Amino acid sequence: MNAPYRLLSPTDRVRFWTALAQRAVPAVVTLLLTVLMTAPLFASFPLLPHLALLGVFVWATFQPALMPPWLAFLLGLAADLLLGEPLGVNGTLLPLVVIFLRMFEASYGRHRYGFDWALAAAVIFVFEAATWQLLAFTGTDGPFLPLLIQAATTILAYPAVVLLCARIQRGLNPTL
Amino acid sequence: MDWPPQSRRSGNARREQNLALIGAVVSGVVVTVGLVLLFLARADPVLGARARGTALDIVTPVWGVVRAPFDWLGDVTDTIGDYIGTVPRNRELTAELATARRALETDGALRAENGALKRLLKVVEPRAGLVAVARIAGSSTGSYTRTAMISAGRDEGVVPGQPVRADTGLVGRTVEAGNHAARVLLLTDPNSRVPVLIVRTGQPALAVGANGRLLEVRDRLGAEVALKVGDRLVTSGAGGIYAPQIPVAVIVDAGREPPLAEPYANPGALSHVAVFAPYLPVPQIADPEAAANAVPVPREANKRIKTKATAATKPAAAPNTSKPVAPTTPSPAA
Repeated sequence: MNAPYRLLSPTDRVRFWTALAQRAVPAVVTLLLTVLMTAPLFASFPLLPHLALLGVFVWATFQPALMPPWLAFLLGLAADLLLGEPLGVNGTLLPLVVIFLRMFEASYGRHRYGFDWALAAAVIFVFEAATWQLLAFTGTDGPFLPLLIQAATTILAYPAVVLLCARIQRGLNPTL
Repeated sequence: MDWPPQSRRSGNARREQNLALIGAVVSGVVVTVGLVLLFLARADPVLGARARGTALDIVTPVWGVVRAPFDWLGDVTDTIGDYIGTVPRNRELTAELATARRALETDGALRAENGALKRLLKVVEPRAGLVAVARIAGSSTGSYTRTAMISAGRDEGVVPGQPVRADTGLVGRTVEAGNHAARVLLLTDPNSRVPVLIVRTGQPALAVGANGRLLEVRDRLGAEVALKVGDRLVTSGAGGIYAPQIPVAVIVDAGREPPLAEPYANPGALSHVAVFAPYLPVPQIADPEAAANAVPVPREANKRIKTKATAATKPAAAPNTSKPVAPTTPSPAA
């Protein structure tokens, strides 16, 4: 937007606000995915995939400009608060995921969908292992197996989140 | 392919460079802040209690509403199921009732004797008061911790550190509280430790969460007496949070060390839970900061402070050194 707001025509103003609202879509979608993780299901293991991680990952590959590390940090803090984990576990790891993805995409660029999934699987596994270590650091010692299960469900849920985010993006901006 | 597409013009390479630099700096800053938060969380686990409470307040009503139709559906299927299994269930219950009646006859005599003895010894028993009954509105299924969200908070009198139970048995204790919602640490969380008593043998032990379906029975006194499958665990009342005699779990695997027990209350099958006041409330510390400072002062340091304080009270000493260093030191100046 180059012209000052007061000089815009009404249609341009509407377009300005819509564009601004669209910029918030990745953050809002990821936040809603995080809320979904607090569903009142009581399984004996963390069965639900780490949807916050998937949201951040997918948006960081779809729209890198709209998922900067500082936004991932805020979303990570929200995830920590909602999931009752020590503050800073997701708050540290999610921005690290975004930074890694930016560097990776800068050097390896475009690739096939299957490769994306493999990359996601690697990132998810490292993420869960790091979560385990950070939780141990903050005083929650436990076995690694539950996190391994969550890593598996997260990897399986990746295509679903990709479909959801792609559909949202196409629905909002059909010209792209 | 940015969205919306950014207007790129040649000649603003310098601007882009600056933006990239700022971006890198901001990224570094947020990761550093995250690490600092982790260190703070290690030092002080209740960090951000207020923010946590607010997050609970926001999310819990959402699940309260989303859950309602499922609860209703569950009630309907339960009712249908009740009708289908009625005859075999009735036979089962009749047989059970006969044995229970026999046990009750001896029980009544024992209870009367117990009451008489307690009166004789003037045993004082604190009463655990009911604080609130709340709906289970959420869980942490998507994370490493095993917690439940309930729809009662500080406004209803729920604060961290209160026992939570269902009719079948103990559920856990509250760890965070917002105004209208609270978080309950379930028995199965790796941070949960409940002092229990094994009913058959009378051994005290700890029921420790293992982040799975079952609890581990650790630190059992008299470990040479083997446990049996079916041994019941009830709260012992040690520690002051949980009242004694609340059913906790039943041993399902006694062969291994530590033995495994299955909790009586399954939060997945519950819709409402009751929050109670702590059995023996921890005395409130008037000034938490003073108390925190009071503990780790070494004896040598105290001695030094004392001599300094006495020196300060002497009229010859400089008057501006009389500031007490530690609030616990009984300084003669005060």
